[in-house]
Amino acid sequence: MFDGLKDKLDSFRSDVEESAEAAESEADPDDDAAAATEASSDDGADPETTADADGTPSDPDDADTDSPGRLQRAKAFATGKVVLEEEDLEDPLWNLEMALLESDVEMGVAEAILAEIRSNLVGETKSQMASTGDLVEDALRDALLEVISVGQFDFDERIAQAEKPVTIVFTGVNGVGKTTTIAKLARYLEARGYSAVLANGDTYRAGANEQIREHAEALDTRLIAHEQGGDPAAVVYDGVEYAEANDVDVVLGDTAGRLHTSSDLMAQLEKIDRVVGPDLTLFVDEAVAGQDAVERAQQFDEAAEIDGAVLTKADADSQGGAAISVAYVTGKPVLFLGTGQGYDDIERFDPESLVDDLLGA
Amino acid sequence: MVLDDLGSSLRGTLSTLQGKSRLDEDDVEEVVKEIQRSLLQADVDVSLVMDLSDSIETRALEEEPPGGTSARDHVLKIVYEELVDLIGESTELPLEPQTILLAGLQGSGKTTSAAKMAWWFSKKGLRPAVIQTDTFRPGAYDQAEQMADRAEVEFYGDPDSDDPVEIAREGLEATADADVHIVDTAGRHALEDDLIAEIEEIDSVVDPDRSLLVLDAAIGQGAKEQASQFDDSIGIDGVVITKLDGTAKGGGALTAVNETDSSIAFLGTGETVQDIERFEPDGFISRLLGMGDLKQLSERVERAMAETGEEDDDWDPQDIMEGSFTLKDMQKQMEAMNNMGPLDQVMDMIPGMGGGLMDQLPDDAMDVTQDRMRTFDVAMDSMTDEELENPRSIGQERVERIARGAGVDEESIRELLEQHRMMERTIKQFQGMGDGDMQRMMKKLQQGDGGGGMGGMGGMGPFG
Repeated sequence: MFDGLKDKLDSFRSDVEESAEAAESEADPDDDAAAATEASSDDGADPETTADADGTPSDPDDADTDSPGRLQRAKAFATGKVVLEEEDLEDPLWNLEMALLESDVEMGVAEAILAEIRSNLVGETKSQMASTGDLVEDALRDALLEVISVGQFDFDERIAQAEKPVTIVFTGVNGVGKTTTIAKLARYLEARGYSAVLANGDTYRAGANEQIREHAEALDTRLIAHEQGGDPAAVVYDGVEYAEANDVDVVLGDTAGRLHTSSDLMAQLEKIDRVVGPDLTLFVDEAVAGQDAVERAQQFDEAAEIDGAVLTKADADSQGGAAISVAYVTGKPVLFLGTGQGYDDIERFDPESLVDDLLGA
Repeated sequence: MVLDDLGSSLRGTLSTLQGKSRLDEDDVEEVVKEIQRSLLQADVDVSLVMDLSDSIETRALEEEPPGGTSARDHVLKIVYEELVDLIGESTELPLEPQTILLAGLQGSGKTTSAAKMAWWFSKKGLRPAVIQTDTFRPGAYDQAEQMADRAEVEFYGDPDSDDPVEIAREGLEATADADVHIVDTAGRHALEDDLIAEIEEIDSVVDPDRSLLVLDAAIGQGAKEQASQFDDSIGIDGVVITKLDGTAKGGGALTAVNETDSSIAFLGTGETVQDIERFEPDGFISRLLGMGDLKQLSERVERAMAETGEEDDDWDPQDIMEGSFTLKDMQKQMEAMNNMGPLDQVMDMIPGMGGGLMDQLPDDAMDVTQDRMRTFDVAMDSMTDEELENPRSIGQERVERIARGAGVDEESIRELLEQHRMMERTIKQFQGMGDGDMQRMMKKLQQGDGGGGMGGMGGMGPFG
């Protein structure tokens, strides 16, 4: 996951470096002239030199308002620094935007990242000694962390602290892997010393009961299920009651996959949320999802507020941008990644190490 | 689906070209940027987007517009030609005995699509059978069996076997009587080498006439890699796009079509076995052009009217034509409209309504309208039969009672009555009008003369 983006981030770094250096070497002789002129007289520089000094370092028609002021540039020159300008960044930023889109980062989110980087870099004065690469890396790291690392919390800690039974409800569209994730988490919790009961709130899809029953049997976990067509809120509620009566630590409530455009089903989800009042609601989506990940994450968050997200199928050579998008629009952390079809194929998601990994630190 | 937004953003950009007879590079660049944005937002592969936009840019700058063509129409034409070129025809599916193999990622909707396709073939008079070879995922056998049951088609599977190749072989023998064999497989992704080897084996045993790749409309840039891997291993002849009833644009499918050099076969648009459509490039493109899609619309209207009529015997749309339009009729029409699907989808199919006109409405116009219709529906549920048949009998006292009963404010009841009066007036105007007058009616509706808001639209039902 994220391999493509990693390569692209690397090239963004060297792009900026190159174009900044090109601008630098271009700028140098002119700046010398300009500085010389400025030194020789305050305002009476001969027209030719002034025009030259103004024009050459940047585009002739570049408006002074949105590039670093001449004064700032002169100051930077005097102190042996160079100012990064918007046009140095234009091409690299465009390439970076394409890289983010290629990695399935949603367009609005990609633009937010770019804006962050632009505002961090433009007008930044850098000492001629310090490499542009470092500057860019810092800006990239800040921008990415800002986006991915939102309200991260320690899932294990949260479970440990919470009053038992802890009720966790899983939501998401069809076929993203909610039931498989529940089975994996049951194993995960068991390995940490917690007992779990599964409650099958998917009373709709053909084969849903059979699917989760097989998991429950394989994991030797208790399952609460009703007839197909029953009230999903009631099933999960029964799961909670069972857990209370039998001292079970965690209730894992499944729900039927639904598209966020179905207002009836989203209303049903609201009802489950209201009736059950889960301690945690986890939104499950697949890491291979594209631009739409943002839309549905938002809609599910609105119907039944989520506390975090799980991204599945991260082993399918996904680009991983969905992780970035979902975290950004919901402001809720990605907690786990599903990485295969085995019960142990689930990993904690750690934004810091992801960003480090992306930037090759 | 994909390109819906392209349609509107293109029209927006192109309107800035209005009146120009020549395009300069800046104009073209701006249009091309807009196209890129829309395609990328629809999840079309980045390099495919760049190829497309490059050739649009080159053609727009180099080709001379034919005499009398405005710059705007010229660009429009190029864009559509390039898109048509990419989308191509729908996957050819002769109505004859055949074997179809389905492949795709976990959770993309293969099992549901298998049942839907079987249902589709059975409606075409063929005898289909679904063969389930997914021995891995818990519950897969039961799901497929239940779905086949809902589609009322033959089913073969073996819950006790763990050899998909064997099941496929035995399944084909056991269902030898069937005309169309649809072989469902376990979900897998391109990097699972052992599973890819397995599907190659199934492929060689089944020897399908067609292998279809089932793709979730929401799939992102990964579509390219997945499609090319599946194409390499079993050869992909067509793509089925699922979950198109969401907001995902399905651009990944375009990527897959391009990557596998195939075409789109079916569209999945819901959870029941009937929610399947053959992909029709003509309708799709004319909708894109803002020309509407009358064929789809009339199909939807017919289906909706049938569904609405089924439940209620004593309601006869014919009465409306004879001059009595009651609140009951209005309620029926609203129900029929609901049965047709989301309003904005329906609007898009109406010539002159979709595209340009839709762009001018505020984004939430359709939601507001739908909310209003819901309020009206609730209010009408609190009315007596007599009131529904004869709305004029509703005076202030009754308005108060209805408002209390339905839990809506009195203002909404008055709006409802006003709306009814407007629709009644509109319908009176249309009475006795021949088919040739349809266009005039359309024009009237377009000018917003049809009774304000959705009043005119409400009247569309029986005429569609």
